[in-house]
Amino acid sequence: MPARSLWNGTVAFGEVTFPVKLYSVVQEHRVRFREVHLSDGGRIVHRRVGSESGQEVPNERIRKAYELSDGNQVVLEDEEIAAARGSNGKVIQIEHFTAGDAIDPVYYDRPYLLGAQPGGEHAYRVLLAALEQTGKVGIGRFTLRTREQLIAMAAHGEALRLYTMRFADELVPSSELDVPTASREPSARELEMAERLVDTLAQEWEPERYEDRHRDAVMALIEQKASGAEVQARAAAEPPPTPDLLAALEQSLAVGTGRKRERAPAKVGSGSKTGSKTGSKTGSSSKVKSR
Amino acid sequence: MPQGIWNGTLSFGLVAVPVRMVSATRDRDVHFHQIDVETGERIAVQRVCEADGQEVPWEDIGRGYDLDDQLVTLTDDELAAAAPERTHTIEIEEFVDLAAIDPAQFDHPYFLLPSSDSEGTTRAYQLLRDAMASTNQVAIGRVVLRSSEYLVAVRQRDQLLSMTTMLFADELRSADEIDSVPTGSTGEPTRGEVAEAVKLIDAMTREFDPAGYENRYRARLTELIESKRTSKRKVELSVEDEAATAPAPDLMAALKASLERARRD
Repeated sequence: MPARSLWNGTVAFGEVTFPVKLYSVVQEHRVRFREVHLSDGGRIVHRRVGSESGQEVPNERIRKAYELSDGNQVVLEDEEIAAARGSNGKVIQIEHFTAGDAIDPVYYDRPYLLGAQPGGEHAYRVLLAALEQTGKVGIGRFTLRTREQLIAMAAHGEALRLYTMRFADELVPSSELDVPTASREPSARELEMAERLVDTLAQEWEPERYEDRHRDAVMALIEQKASGAEVQARAAAEPPPTPDLLAALEQSLAVGTGRKRERAPAKVGSGSKTGSKTGSKTGSSSKVKSR
Repeated sequence: MPQGIWNGTLSFGLVAVPVRMVSATRDRDVHFHQIDVETGERIAVQRVCEADGQEVPWEDIGRGYDLDDQLVTLTDDELAAAAPERTHTIEIEEFVDLAAIDPAQFDHPYFLLPSSDSEGTTRAYQLLRDAMASTNQVAIGRVVLRSSEYLVAVRQRDQLLSMTTMLFADELRSADEIDSVPTGSTGEPTRGEVAEAVKLIDAMTREFDPAGYENRYRARLTELIESKRTSKRKVELSVEDEAATAPAPDLMAALKASLERARRD
């Protein structure tokens, strides 16, 4: 299925401008359900009613309101809120560049892909090559739909990626959390053993090796239920906390070294619950789309 | 002080660390509610059955899935049966380099905190955190949240263990699925143009200072609310009219002009 662009506009940095198209990177495959009335299978719809009267309120009488700290309300018209977006959203303006590895990935929120509109291919490729070569990322602003976003633009393989970014004050700093600390730091020997254990379990990152077992398990469950079978929940079996840290590390190292040798070509995870024959990926994803 | 949203065990080889999970983000958005403009009454949402228009209580609402024209309904308990047995364990399967992970795979960030102040728990927590920090590694594992299983990455960030839910590789669209991504000989750049663009990028480079960016959308909404509070009149904020400009006709000239300006500023 060809991807459809979400937005068309212009990238501007310095005096260079070129027209682009924006696409979503994420195509979620989680199984999506809809709400149903269990006793008759009827579809659930949402009805907006007055909270005290219980009477349905027609759309044209509904407004957005903001509650002030004194309990008073400020009523806002849709056009007023729309004007807060700041611009009409035609330009991705890059304000400056920064080293890509200086940005912790926690700042990246949603990823998008950029394509070029006719006439923009050349400048697109020049910027892509220069970002690739320098390892830098463009930081800028851009209005998508109704709100202005802080964005980062980076080279990713053959394409330009755009990430909307979280603002610093949207991240919880560790200083605001109540974190119990140990009275004695881990010993050098414990740290050395833990590092060895990390090394033992270190692998090349191959994202394709991880499959969404849950998606398959949910699809299998749906099919089981469709065939009229009973579905039963299972009990959990959790590991107890480690009583002796050093002994556990030693044992893990012995086990871990053995495991690494044997698992090289195998898939990660036991996959014991992925026994779905019919819940193929194409099947479930097309269902999700046709929801 | 955020509440723990999940309690469980982080398991790493034979070492098990009891942890609680809190969100690493906080909502700073300006939130609105809906009102009936005629009565001033707040709007509530009722769930009603389409068949008879009657309100349906929570316990009578299930999850429906259309499977080949057949409606299959599941209760939350039944759905929980699809989750793995160890629903309160984050089992670390391997360690990988942070830089090797495509940041697009990261979804929501959380912190993991030691769930008790016992010496064993806090030391095991610090040990895992420090071992990952000194080796620059990220732990990959799986966790069950709200009866769904997620792939997660655990690493050291801001002196704590952070855990980020991840999308699966097949949930990410790759560049070759998009026709308008120019490749091959389409718009191929010359070495001179790339060199000029690199100079411009270098001249426009600044330190990344995340706290230095203002959320201007939030600021404008706050300004709007403030001016509406003091005056009942309709408020008109100015909207900048950005023009979709044509591509620069002479790319090299535009790069050179930009470079001069960037060096002047």
